Parts: sequence; C-alpha cells; structure tokens
Amino acid sequence: VSQNATGERGSAFGRIVAGALGPLVFPVIAIVLSFIIGAVIILLTGNNPIIAYASLVEGAFGDPLALGRTLLYTTPLIFTGLAVAVAFRAGLFNIGGEGQIFVGAVTAAWLGVSLGSLGPIAIPLVLVGSLAAGFLWGAIPGVLKAYFGAHEVITPSVLNYVGIYLADYLANNPLRQKGPIPGTETIDFAVRIPVIGAALGRANYGFVLAILAAAARPPQEQVVLALAIGGSLAGLGGGVEILGVYGNMDVPWVSNLGFNGIGVALLGRNHPVGVVLGALLFGALFSGAQEMQFATNVPLELTEVLLAVILLLVTATKLVELIVGKRARALAGARLEEGLGS
Amino acid sequence: VEDLLGTTGSILQSTIRNATPLIFAALGGLFSERSGVVNIGLEGLMLIAAFAGVVGSFFTGSALVGLLTGLGAGLLFALIHALMCITFEADQIISGTAINLLALGGTAFLMVTIFGSGGTSPRVTGFGSVAIPLLSDIPVIGAALFDQSVIVYLMYIMVPVVYFAVFRTTFGLRLRATGEVPEAVDTAGVNVQRIRYYGVALSGLLAACGGVYLSMGLLTAFTENMTGGRGFIALAALIFGRWNPIGAAGAALLFGFAQAITYRVSEQTVPIEFIQMFPYVLTIIALAFFGGRAIAPAAIGKPYRKE
Repeated sequence: VSQNATGERGSAFGRIVAGALGPLVFPVIAIVLSFIIGAVIILLTGNNPIIAYASLVEGAFGDPLALGRTLLYTTPLIFTGLAVAVAFRAGLFNIGGEGQIFVGAVTAAWLGVSLGSLGPIAIPLVLVGSLAAGFLWGAIPGVLKAYFGAHEVITPSVLNYVGIYLADYLANNPLRQKGPIPGTETIDFAVRIPVIGAALGRANYGFVLAILAAAARPPQEQVVLALAIGGSLAGLGGGVEILGVYGNMDVPWVSNLGFNGIGVALLGRNHPVGVVLGALLFGALFSGAQEMQFATNVPLELTEVLLAVILLLVTATKLVELIVGKRARALAGARLEEGLGS
Repeated sequence: VEDLLGTTGSILQSTIRNATPLIFAALGGLFSERSGVVNIGLEGLMLIAAFAGVVGSFFTGSALVGLLTGLGAGLLFALIHALMCITFEADQIISGTAINLLALGGTAFLMVTIFGSGGTSPRVTGFGSVAIPLLSDIPVIGAALFDQSVIVYLMYIMVPVVYFAVFRTTFGLRLRATGEVPEAVDTAGVNVQRIRYYGVALSGLLAACGGVYLSMGLLTAFTENMTGGRGFIALAALIFGRWNPIGAAGAALLFGFAQAITYRVSEQTVPIEFIQMFPYVLTIIALAFFGGRAIAPAAIGKPYRKE
C-alpha cells in the first residue's frame, strides 16, 4: 500500500511539473541534467561550477557586445536546426547538415565575389545560390534512399565528408585568394548583410516549408523533397554565415553547426519557435564559453560536452518517466522519437 | 616483374592496415545490431578509445596499458549508449549521434585538460610491427600479412572468433534471436535487455580495438577527429557483409583497398581533396547499389517492452 501511495505522490508531483511545462518537459530535464553533469566535470577540473556558470552567463548576456556575439552564434544554428526539424516533421532524419552548410558556404563565397560588381542586388542572388546548393546536396541522400534503398543515416553521414572536401577543393583552387594564406577572396562590403535580421525572418520561412513538406504526394518524392528542403535551409545558413560573418571562406572552415542543429531541433521539438529558443541556448553556450575559460580556466570545449549530453538525454523516454512519472510523461506529449525514420 | 610484385605487396600491406580499424568497428557494430540496437556511435567509440589509449600509454609508457585504457573507454561509452537505448528507451540513432559528439567534444576538452592544447597529442609508445618468423618470408604476401602490428594479428583472430560466437554458440543464437524476434526470446525465459547490453558492450570493446589501432598502430599519437568517418564506413561494410563477420571483413578490405590506392595517386595528376574524397564516394556508391538489398535484423531500432 505504501509503495502505491509513493507512486501516486510521485506522479502527482510529476503531473504538476508536466502541466506547467507541457512539451518542455523533455528539453528541460535534458538541459538541467546536462548542467548538473557539467558541474561535476567542472569540479573535477578543480574549479567552482557556480563561478564557471556565472561567467558563462556573463559572457553570453552580460553586455551589448556579449549579446551581439550570442546572436551571432545563434543565427546559423537556427538554420541548421530548422534543416533538421523540417525533415523530422516528414518523419526523416537529416544528419547531412554538415555537408549542406559547407556547400552553401562555398557557393556564397564564389557568387559573392563573382557577382560583387552588382552591389547589394547580388545579396539575394548569392543567398538563392546557397539555398539551391544545399537543396541539391540534401536531395542526394533523399534520392539514394527513395529510389535505391540506401541507408538514410549512413549515406548522408559519409556524404558530409564529400561535401567538406569538395568545399575545401573549391576554396583551395578556383576560388583561392592571392598570397600565401589559404581561403577564398574576400567579398565586397556592398554584398554583406546584417546577419541577425536575415535569420529571424527565416524561422517563418522554415515553418512554411515544413507545412509544404508535410503535404500529400508520392512517398518517394516526399522523402527527396523533405531532405532537399532541409538541405536548402542548411545551405542558406552557410550562405548567411559567409555574407554576414566571415566575408570569405577560410580553409579549414570550422563548423560542426550541422551536427549541433540536431540538438537544436530536438530541444525545440521541431517547432520553429522552439528551434529559435534551442538555437539561442546553444548560441549562448558558445558565446559565453570564452569568458568561462578566462574566468576559471575550464576549457571552452566544455560547451561541446554539454551539448552532446543534452542530445543524449533529450529523447530518453524512460528517464523522463522516472523523474516525473508515467502519466505526467503522457501529458508532456507523445514520445519524442515517434515518427522518426530509422 | 620484381617491381610489380613489390608494389602489389605494399598495396596489400596498406590495404590490411587501413582495413583493420574498419573490420574491428564492423565486428563491433555486428554484435550491437544483431542484438537489435543500432550503433551509429561506432565513430565515437573508436575516437574515445583512440584517445584513452594514448593517455594510458603516455602516463605509463606501456602500450599494453594503453590498450586496456582504450578498451575501458570504449566500454564506458558503449554502456552509456546501452543505458540510453535499452533502459531509457531513447531514440537509438539520436543516442548514437550524441555518442559521436560526446567523443568529439570530450576528446577536445580532455586534450586541453591533459596535454594543455588541442590538435595532436605527444607521441607515445604504440604497437609497432612484429614480423612473424617464416610466414613473413613468404614472397609478396608474407610481409604484407605477417609483418604487422599485434593488433592486426588480433584482428585475424577476431574475425573467425566472432563468426563462431555468433553462429555456433548458445549466446550467438540468443543474440540473433533478440535482434529478430525479441518476444520469442522473452517467452523462452531469456532476458532480452541483458542480451542487448552484452551486444552493445561487445561493440564498445571491438570498436575500441579499432580506435587504439588508429592512434597506437597506424600512428603513435592522437589527433582530433582522427577517425574521420571510419565508423560510418564500417557500418556500410556491415550492411554489404549482410551482418555476417566474414562478409563485413571482406567489404572492409575493399574499403581498405580503396584507401590504400589513394596513397599511390600523385597529387600532380589529381587534386588532393579528390584523392581524400575517394573512399567516401566509393562507400556512397556501394550503399546506393547494394545497400537496398540487404535486410537488417527485424527488431533493430525498437526498444523492447515486456508486456
């Protein structure tokens, strides 16, 4: 009897939590646990987790400069997060974001220079080019899956490397700047964009595309289109990075944005607003990491560990049940992984 | 003629060296996937073991200790994956992806914490080549097959051992049944979740051997992200090999050969990026043409819930 009573109490607590947080239960539990694990790691490095986390927040939101930097880190994650979310909504897993953002970026680096004489008129043309490149790159695993039965996850995982090497080749050869430093030529300032405005507008665009992707059509075309649309968003993200942040493409160009988009999408439960919030959290962690390293000498790579742990926990159904109880988990919505292709 | 034989021998030797980490990872993936748990995280399991092996060897000067620390790290990360997928019923592909990112971020973090900077670790004692008397004197193939690191010899042993374990033992029967019809296994009174834990744990140990070979056999240092997609190529090899150890090893040898011939192509004739791209492109072509016909274990990817 007593066991039963404990169970009831447990789930009553859980129902209150789930009622208040609704679909945020999975993300919140993943984030909180990740930060607790992070605190243990910080303690192991001989530092104070409270000081470390305080400096992280300070570095992400402490002053206008920090805030601007946070938004700068957030922007590409909105794109790659949407790139994953759109595919999830069609029941597909887009793990190819890394390759897609590279081909989008190198396309922008090319068009930005070659159309530079057009001035600001070139901006939409460059971005459409990035979008198209991402679309085609995303369509490749889509076609291979839909018509050849190639593995949905392994194919794009391998294709990521092809995309990165292809971008490297283009940046190192036809697009290479003069002089000893590798990288493409720098794009004229007339063709550059303020990055934040562009990003927020795209959240809506991503939502429209998600609906489009869910429309009825033959299942094989559906697969190709959903993955290609996802790819177009990641490609566009690459273009925005080049026009908004870098101005050219360095070799090697460091990204990992495609992979982090997966965590962003899952934290945001594949909803455009959720994706923006998820991207903001990830962006803030990247933005504040430098300050944390400065204040406590905890390596800034801790951020990547925290993000990986969030991803590890964000679909853990039974773990959530363990914490908030079974019925409360039901309130938090269907199991997160339902509808994912595998 | 002698020149041709010499070239053949050295390509063969390079093929085996490049195939070894793929074969270990594919054998590991086989145990996990045969039990019904997808293991996209092979890449991360190899990477963390490659790193832990170098750390173990760095602090003790013993390659053997390095192998053990590498195995320990691979096992630990595999058990995290198992806990998430089997006990907590997380999405298996997401969990595997998270394992890859955790290994990537974790090794970057620990490189700074332990060695003071990222990039490449200090050089450590590894497993150098040990020529087997008589066998290594066989013309052409002798040196290629029998003048290798002990980890390569371990691989020669593991392929038939895994075959025997999977197809000729009670454990193997239960493992395969768990991946195909877990309900029947459960009805027979065997604990499905425990079998899956064993499967994933074995995948960690085998992938770890591949990772340790990368950092302490092929090289004698750890470099960030040194696995470079080998975990995924190993999964592709597993598909072509139809989840059979001999088949997977054969496919891995083919990919190892693709890697080996890229070292023969001159950068003057083909841009280096295309040379580096070649094994990946070949993998994708192979996935497209043969991947669709392979049939995965029926219960793969689904958590088992006792009714």
